[in-house]
Amino acid sequence: MTDTRIPTEIPRAPASVRRNRTLMLIGAGLMAVLFVVAVVTMDLPTWRRFMSGLERNFMPLMRGLVNPETEIFGLAWNAMVETFFMAILGTALGAVLAFPLSFFASGNLLGGTRWALPGKAVLVAIRTFPELVLAIIFVAAAGPGPTAGIMAMGIHSIGYLGKVFSDVVEGIDQGPMEAIRAAGGNQLQTFLYAVVPQVLPEFASHVLYRFEINLRAATVLGMVGAGGIGLPLIQRLQFRRWDEVSMLLLVIVGVIIVVDAVSSRVRSRLV
Amino acid sequence: MAGRIRGAITVALLAAIFIIAFRQTGFSFGALWSGTEDFFRFFGRLVPDWTALPQIWPKLVETIQIAYVATIVGTLIGLPLIFLASANTTINGVTLWVSRTILTILRSIPDLLWAALFVAILGLGSLPGVVALTFFTIGVLAKLGSETVEAADPGPLEALRAAGAGRNRTIIFAVVPQVAATMVSYILYVFEINVRASVVIGLVGAGGIGQLLNTYLSFFDYPGVAALIIVIFGVVLLIDGFSVWARSKLI
Repeated sequence: MTDTRIPTEIPRAPASVRRNRTLMLIGAGLMAVLFVVAVVTMDLPTWRRFMSGLERNFMPLMRGLVNPETEIFGLAWNAMVETFFMAILGTALGAVLAFPLSFFASGNLLGGTRWALPGKAVLVAIRTFPELVLAIIFVAAAGPGPTAGIMAMGIHSIGYLGKVFSDVVEGIDQGPMEAIRAAGGNQLQTFLYAVVPQVLPEFASHVLYRFEINLRAATVLGMVGAGGIGLPLIQRLQFRRWDEVSMLLLVIVGVIIVVDAVSSRVRSRLV
Repeated sequence: MAGRIRGAITVALLAAIFIIAFRQTGFSFGALWSGTEDFFRFFGRLVPDWTALPQIWPKLVETIQIAYVATIVGTLIGLPLIFLASANTTINGVTLWVSRTILTILRSIPDLLWAALFVAILGLGSLPGVVALTFFTIGVLAKLGSETVEAADPGPLEALRAAGAGRNRTIIFAVVPQVAATMVSYILYVFEINVRASVVIGLVGAGGIGQLLNTYLSFFDYPGVAALIIVIFGVVLLIDGFSVWARSKLI
């Protein structure tokens, strides 16, 4: 007589799944241990100091956010306009410099992945160099002001833009290139009429995205003297002028949110 | 023809924006040109002095500690927020709107601004750095995460709902398995960003290797600066490489 009852117990998970679960548990445990070690060995202030900091500074900031100092609005707005245009010039500089470089980091144009390696290495090096350190160097060389910030953003943006540009170029359709070559087009013509039209919309979309990032960067570059709203902000933070800090923060957050919304809408239409 | 006109208008508009931008920022090629000599002199003086290494290591460890702790805490706070900010897993219209608004505001504040803010509130040290990067992590992670959750296949969600599962169970058994790998890769990515950020937040007093950089720069200790920059470069490259490798294994 065969057993016809329907099994009600959930069968055991297969061995591979159980092994993965154990590995994951071990990984999570290791991370938790590391976390505890990191927290314990960090030099943290006492609880009382922490609370008094909140009381003395956080509460005034919150009050300021509800009731900001309107007198400073003109200054904040002008500084933010300067910041905005700094980000535009920085992004443009980065895009102009990254455009030619990206083709030297694209394997399909150079006839092999290995020929693109030096170009890719240069881009990684630029990306890894902290933007703020670049800004400090440019402030030392060209003096404080927006010019230093624009240069820092421009150089740093090459790293990101060059990388995404070359990714776009490596993903293009080879058909048009072959067609123009078959019709007797030379190297330059192939590049101009088969490569450039294919990549331009995506390039533009990446440039806009980078602009969103650079606008955020431009708001803080002023903290090292490289122009923009960061300078008035850090001065007021140092003197704990919370009502004025609040106004500056509101202008920064407001402008960035609006620019993000506009930019992402344009980007979704581009690609 | 219409395309031509639109192209011409775009070019004219861009040109106008650039002219305004040059005027507004007072961009000066002159200052830049006269600064080139200083620029190269600066790099010329960057001959690393490796005797600074014993000073650098502890600060480097602190930097990575800050990034790690902030990534973990930010992830723990950010994960529930992801599900509240995704249209297919949120409770109702109000929670969706509120959580999205909070995330939009969090995301509009750059890392260094968080750091400067919390240094002013909590004083110098690692703690403002951790708090700053925690907020930053929540913003970045929740944005990336909610896009992934919203792109999840609705089939399993419907199946579980039809079988009578509540919201939490639907999320755990229908959404989490779909998005887990992507989410882990985002967390690694955020950790990578946090390491880069924790290097510079010290410049405004929020702990880590940036503080040392600030000290060296203000004492014009260029050999120290050079050693520091090379160490930073190596560590960021290493962590980026690890993160890229781990992410490529995940997806």
